[in-house]
Amino acid sequence: MHARIEHLLSLRDGEPVSADVPEHVSQCAICTGELQRLSAIREQMRALPQFEAPELAWERVQGALAVPERDRRFRMSKIGIAAAAAAVVTFTVIALVVGHFDRRSGAATELAKIEAPLPQGVPPVDQLVAQSQQLEQLLQKLPDRPRVERVSTAATIDTIEHRIQFLDFQLSNAPEADLSEEQSRQLWRERVELMDSLVKVRYAEAGALWF
Amino acid sequence: MSHFQGIEVAAEVVRAAQAGEPRAHEAIYRACRRPLYTLIRRLVVRGAIADELFQETFVEVLRNIGAYSGEGAFGGWVRSIAVSKCLMYLRSPWHRSLLYLDNDDESAAPVVLLDPASHPDAQASASADVERALATLPALTRSVVWLHDVEGYTHVEIGRLLGRTASFSKSQLARAHVRLRELLEQPAGSTSCTHASSTC
Repeated sequence: MHARIEHLLSLRDGEPVSADVPEHVSQCAICTGELQRLSAIREQMRALPQFEAPELAWERVQGALAVPERDRRFRMSKIGIAAAAAAVVTFTVIALVVGHFDRRSGAATELAKIEAPLPQGVPPVDQLVAQSQQLEQLLQKLPDRPRVERVSTAATIDTIEHRIQFLDFQLSNAPEADLSEEQSRQLWRERVELMDSLVKVRYAEAGALWF
Repeated sequence: MSHFQGIEVAAEVVRAAQAGEPRAHEAIYRACRRPLYTLIRRLVVRGAIADELFQETFVEVLRNIGAYSGEGAFGGWVRSIAVSKCLMYLRSPWHRSLLYLDNDDESAAPVVLLDPASHPDAQASASADVERALATLPALTRSVVWLHDVEGYTHVEIGRLLGRTASFSKSQLARAHVRLRELLEQPAGSTSCTHASSTC
């Protein structure tokens, strides 16, 4: 019976292990080799080259430091207004596209339900979260992405996913960043828009396969 | 060993930075940028997200430098902020639900084709193999193995950071090494198709 990897790792790291483990390892060529391999991988990881920091990162840090908190909030509100304006355009286009897909896919019907006409004001956060979750579910129902796809489609999907991830990062930091209710709503609103766009692109991608 | 141990920032530079001296801020940035960005890239992998986290971390470090009491290494204090930010990102609900962060069943991870042209040295260099194998680990598992084996965090510390137990950290480390062994022992021809990293 050879030593378990947990025990070998403990032995490698100088943590307490049962006395029979080092005794076995000292007499077992396989376990000795495995212990050496674990040590070698650790050394290889430690020896991996460092990454260079992104260019202009310091300038961006300086820029962020130079903006007082009050100005940042004001700028956030301007971004929110711009996002809301963009949303009107996006939802209109999506509604047209959904009408097209509605004739071909049952799932598209669900998308149409989500994309009800825009209310006059920005919806409350819980509504935006619900919309976002519905879109997530809809996305899950789509077929897997093809293993071979157009570069432009892959790049578009990647860009949208990047932006969603960045929004998620901002939202996950919301309590720490002391975001106001309005700012949270704007972020969630933008997330819904991006999810809409992602669903739209993925539908188009899936549609190309169905035809 | 952790590159943070090599960071040397004189006490007077820290004091000047705490007083708001811009040149001291820049000196701290230059001293910390490479180990900090490397750590973030190792934990998060995806370049665009790492860039954002890097900037966020430095802004937080310089905004809150007054909170550094001088106890403990300055590099360690900076590192703790970066690790906290990365783990917060990796543990965010949306990221987790979308990208299989906590998915122990690696077979459920999406499969992608690795482009050999983007990894020209992958087959030629052992370190490239290790780097690529690391990048294919689930984000949480990769974080544990990096924090433990490279940064020198204890299982207790990792468990606390993740809101889990030391045993969880130990099991993740063992799982990571089993997976790394599988990946590194694969014949070269079979490594072109592998599981996607949860953050790639």
